Amino acid sequence: MKLNPSRGSVFTGALMAFILFADPVMATQTHGQPEGLYVHQMAHIFFLISMGSLDFWLRQRNLTEQRGWKYIQFSAVLFIFWNIDAAAVHFLDEHLDILGITKIDLWHIKIENSQGHDSITILYYLMKLDHLLCVPAMFFLYFGLKTILKTTGNAAGDKTQS
Amino acid sequence: MIVSSIPILFIDLVGSFLMIVLSFLSLKLVFKLRKQDRDNLIWTYLWWICVALSCFAVSRSAGHILKNFLLMAGQKPFWDAIRPFSGAINTFMFIVVGAVTMFFERIWKVYQLILKDRQALQSAHKEMLFLNQNLEDLVEERTNALAASEHKYRKIFEVSKDMIMVAAKDGTIVNLNPSGYNLLGMNSEEDQIENRNVRDFLADAGSWSSIIASVESERSVENVELDLVTVDGTRRRILLGGSMADDVDNEEEIIHFLVKDIEKRKVMEEQLAQADKLASIGELSSGVAHEINNPLGVILGYTQLLLRGENSASERYSDLKTIEKHVRNCKAIVEDLLSFSRKSETDKQMLDIHQVIDEVLIFVQHHSHIEHITIEKDYNPTVHPLLIDEKKIKQVLINLVVNAIHAVGEKGYIQISTDLSEPTNELMVKVKDDGHGIEPKYLKKIFDPFFTTKSTGEGTGLGLSVSYGIIKNHGGHIYVESKPGAGTTFTVTLPTALTLPEN
Repeated sequence: MKLNPSRGSVFTGALMAFILFADPVMATQTHGQPEGLYVHQMAHIFFLISMGSLDFWLRQRNLTEQRGWKYIQFSAVLFIFWNIDAAAVHFLDEHLDILGITKIDLWHIKIENSQGHDSITILYYLMKLDHLLCVPAMFFLYFGLKTILKTTGNAAGDKTQS
Repeated sequence: MIVSSIPILFIDLVGSFLMIVLSFLSLKLVFKLRKQDRDNLIWTYLWWICVALSCFAVSRSAGHILKNFLLMAGQKPFWDAIRPFSGAINTFMFIVVGAVTMFFERIWKVYQLILKDRQALQSAHKEMLFLNQNLEDLVEERTNALAASEHKYRKIFEVSKDMIMVAAKDGTIVNLNPSGYNLLGMNSEEDQIENRNVRDFLADAGSWSSIIASVESERSVENVELDLVTVDGTRRRILLGGSMADDVDNEEEIIHFLVKDIEKRKVMEEQLAQADKLASIGELSSGVAHEINNPLGVILGYTQLLLRGENSASERYSDLKTIEKHVRNCKAIVEDLLSFSRKSETDKQMLDIHQVIDEVLIFVQHHSHIEHITIEKDYNPTVHPLLIDEKKIKQVLINLVVNAIHAVGEKGYIQISTDLSEPTNELMVKVKDDGHGIEPKYLKKIFDPFFTTKSTGEGTGLGLSVSYGIIKNHGGHIYVESKPGAGTTFTVTLPTALTLPEN
């Protein structure tokens, strides 16, 4: 769009004044250590929501009636659990007032529970094994894709034959 | 609580490794899927998911493996240094995977739309193809049907025995079939009828107005009897019907006419009427003649008886002679009437008609002054002898020749011809002259008894009536064709041995 000359001159003047007569201001915010954790937790939540939405849409579109997509749905659900698990572990790791984790040597760790509940300690220990969730999730994704490939390959073959 | 970290380390290391392996295996599968159908948006979407997951798996698992190895190697400070980068990449990959996944619904909708459009396009393409093929067939079929129809109607137009004429409202002839050309005395290959007017061919040009008036009010005209004038001036009676139609080419109204030539039918009707009339007159004449014949015989007998006793020099003798003469005249007329009514006896023999004609011509030449009249004979030598009453046929021929001589006057041309008619194989004797001809109004009465155009005393008007009766008595016909100023032709047809019944 062509600028009106009067408007153009006003804009140019304002821009020049902004550049030439700039004063130092605290425009940039400093980012401390907790921000990284928050972003990471938010990313987990976002990942969780995205997997939840994927699961929802797969059901909504009745794609889960097909084996390949059914496996992908399982993968999404496992990733949801994995995100919950990982976010929970991160939460417990970073809140020392609940659990205190100290590395004793290469093969042992000490988990201190300020509340005195061993169940939280055991839960934390189990949750540290998060690959038991994300690896099966990846397996299901792989099998899902493999099934889809097989199905579409057969369909393409049938089409070619017909 | 002090616990072993070995399971955690083991699962972390093995799990990280498996994550990388499985993510790349998944990537490979999606690559294959994409290879099958590069235009499939879902495969592209899964490709991006797997790419993001692979990056996620690599970033996370590599970080975990590196962390464990560095910690086991006592390189914690080093790990602390790279930990933020690893964590940041890992976080970033979460977001990427999540972001890509979030597009699933939108991608699926777009994919469905694409599929729908593709199917619609394919369906439309198939329909178009089908329609196109069908259209070609249909057009071909319709073209053939039109060609066949055009050929059929063209054939009807061309082979019709009746005149089919297309004319504009102003009478301009647009199209005419070959029969039309024949009826108008024209040649369809040489003469041009287009742009000539119907009025030019109507004996009464004013009748066109009434035809058009009827066509405009009723949209058609039916069975109008008209006289047509051919290019050589001959009049032919026609029966005309027509209807208005829209001209496809000019969007003007045109008239389709169907014209029947009824000249022959009319002539036959007139001949039948004439024959009926003459038959009635014959019956009447026969009755009258019979009734008069006997008293005339008595008068003649007594007159002759009285004449015997009278002196031929006396006045009484002269009076009786006058009575005898007139009685004889009356008896001759009665004889003629009986001949006309076909009541007189015949004496038929097998004779050569050419010889009979020759004798008639010799007789006529001896009794008439015909020095300046050319008499031409045109005989067909294939004519065989036929069964005729010589005396009566000679009487007919004398009548016709004498009439011809009277018609041509002192100088002229007379032709006597014989021929065999096709396909009846009858003998035709034509006596043709180039005399003054006969007025059309007289033609209908020419065979009526006592009809004559001659002055009183020059003829009795029984010559042609007697001829008619004689020819009818022989099973033949007698016709006359004449144009005022162009001469007259009398045609006598007689059955030959081939046409006569055996008995």
